[in-house]
Amino acid sequence: MIRPILLKGHERPLTQVKFNVDGDILFSVSKDQEASVWYSSNGERIGTLNGHKGTIWSIDVDQNTDYVITASADFTGKLWKAQTGECIYTWNFEAPAKRVEFNPESKKALFVTDEVMGQIGTIKIFPIDHLKDEQASTAELEIKNDKGVSARFTVAAWGYGGTTIVAGHANGEITKWDVKTGACLGRVKAHEMQVTDIQMAQDKTYFITSSKDKSAKLFDVDNLRLLKTYTSDAPLNTACITPVKDFVILGGGQDARDVTTTAAAEGKFEAKIHHKIFQDEIGRVKGHFGPLNYIAVHPQGTAYASGGEDGYIRLHHFPKSYFDFQYDVEKTAKAAKQQELERQKQEEEGADEQAAVSASA
Amino acid sequence: MTPMSGSWADAENDIPPTEVIENPDGTKTVISYKFDDKHRKVKVTQKIKTVKVTETVNPAIAERKKWTRFGDEKDNKIVGPDTRTTQFGEEIKFHLSASSKKDEEEEKKSKAKESTTKVQTLKCRTCGGNHFTSKCPFKDTLGVDLKKQEEEKMNMAAATGRGGMGRGAGASSYVPPHLRRGANGELPKASEAQKEVTTTVRVTNLNTMLSEDLLREIFSRFGYVQRLTILRNRETGESRGIAFVEMDTVEHAKSAIEKLNGRGIMNLIINADFAKPRGER
Repeated sequence: MIRPILLKGHERPLTQVKFNVDGDILFSVSKDQEASVWYSSNGERIGTLNGHKGTIWSIDVDQNTDYVITASADFTGKLWKAQTGECIYTWNFEAPAKRVEFNPESKKALFVTDEVMGQIGTIKIFPIDHLKDEQASTAELEIKNDKGVSARFTVAAWGYGGTTIVAGHANGEITKWDVKTGACLGRVKAHEMQVTDIQMAQDKTYFITSSKDKSAKLFDVDNLRLLKTYTSDAPLNTACITPVKDFVILGGGQDARDVTTTAAAEGKFEAKIHHKIFQDEIGRVKGHFGPLNYIAVHPQGTAYASGGEDGYIRLHHFPKSYFDFQYDVEKTAKAAKQQELERQKQEEEGADEQAAVSASA
Repeated sequence: MTPMSGSWADAENDIPPTEVIENPDGTKTVISYKFDDKHRKVKVTQKIKTVKVTETVNPAIAERKKWTRFGDEKDNKIVGPDTRTTQFGEEIKFHLSASSKKDEEEEKKSKAKESTTKVQTLKCRTCGGNHFTSKCPFKDTLGVDLKKQEEEKMNMAAATGRGGMGRGAGASSYVPPHLRRGANGELPKASEAQKEVTTTVRVTNLNTMLSEDLLREIFSRFGYVQRLTILRNRETGESRGIAFVEMDTVEHAKSAIEKLNGRGIMNLIINADFAKPRGER
């Protein structure tokens, strides 16, 4: 059994939730134009970031939890002080910003802008100066989508070392880009439909993509090699890789616009836990009554938070059974290893005894 | 406290001072006195062991624990999580298993089965389906056979009982009252055949307050009660008003039914009859 903490700080669908590096603070953004900051241990809301005039699509926090960055549909991105919730800088774009992420050193940030109103979808990389509030207003690098609106960028994430960016496209492709030159390093048709989320593993050497085509896939950053495929029974909005245990958690459900016409049970509004290696579904967590828009997992692997179309964040601290779970093959392998160790030990002891006997003789 | 001024009666109201004894094993025993709500003097002995728990936390996290609220929460004076924004959800099932999908499907299937068996209150006499007999889609095909069978049975009965007198095979659908089922013994009654086998009495319309003990007392007047069960709601344990009583002999069961059927027990008129075997119900 598991007892989630319900965070009801938002009045509209959640768009993203994110833990900071230590996992003690949870950030959430929603369509109600506010970002919330929570303590993850008890679900207490510390404050809100007020200032955007449209849906906030994405949020990220830097390594030291000093700064928070948001991307909004009001054509702006904002930089905030995490501790006080004060907005210190605003970037202006020509189109809604859909995704934002700090690079691993938190010295740069990428924004994905949407391809609407005659604008071309772009990934913009801005330098972040931690010493002063004023930031550079022009992008250090712009990666433009040249394949037309159907192949527009939907999501993007930094690869290891911050030297590459992987991006997901509306047509199901994933691409890899060089951060220095802006060159395209690889393009793979990963999914049949829109890529809805990309989340990196902790070491950022591989990542998981989720798609509306009801599947999630694990890819290698180096050569975009497909590692694993997880199939689900509903369109997926998000997927994440859990540290500590070799699991992935997928979230999604029937499209929001179809929800009112079907029963809640039909919607598959459950977080699905798959085994990362064996790919099978090993468990489900019920609770949301709308599709899950984003799932974030605690960096120490002790909890996960899901933000739903229903406006709730459900924060789940994993029970012991989660950590104890093993496949039978894992168990037998472990037992075999243990036996092997014991045998070796016995042999050593036997050898010692023999040596002692021969010495005394 | 002024020792001499009060009367001896006041001494009763005095509370001796709290004693603290340091035990050799590092624990403390605190003996205190107080009055309880009925104004009786109560001695409270508490044994206290002080344990120092050191918890190592990330200094950055500890620092962040001290953050003051901002934004919409700025004027919120509530210490800790505010119930307006933070609540505990209902406990939900969390079970990981390698065959979770299969498990779930099976669970669903069994649930579906349960619900269908519950819903089915109508039973067609022709095909046993979930509809009125008159609406049976097999009325024309199965129904005929059934009628024929019945007729044949009647004829057989007529032939054996009354020496084949008076009625030609399949002459008319009219069955004289004395030949009808349930008439005085011409036709071997199906229910009677069972009555001979079973010694279990099915009692319905029982008062839900009626306990096993009381029911046993009632039935033991007619003979030895071998087994007695009252059907209860699995969750609440409330009686469903139905009981099965197994008597030692058929005669005892019969007499119990005769005496108890239609009797009022605890404001309700109960029905008692032989229990039908599982398949027939």
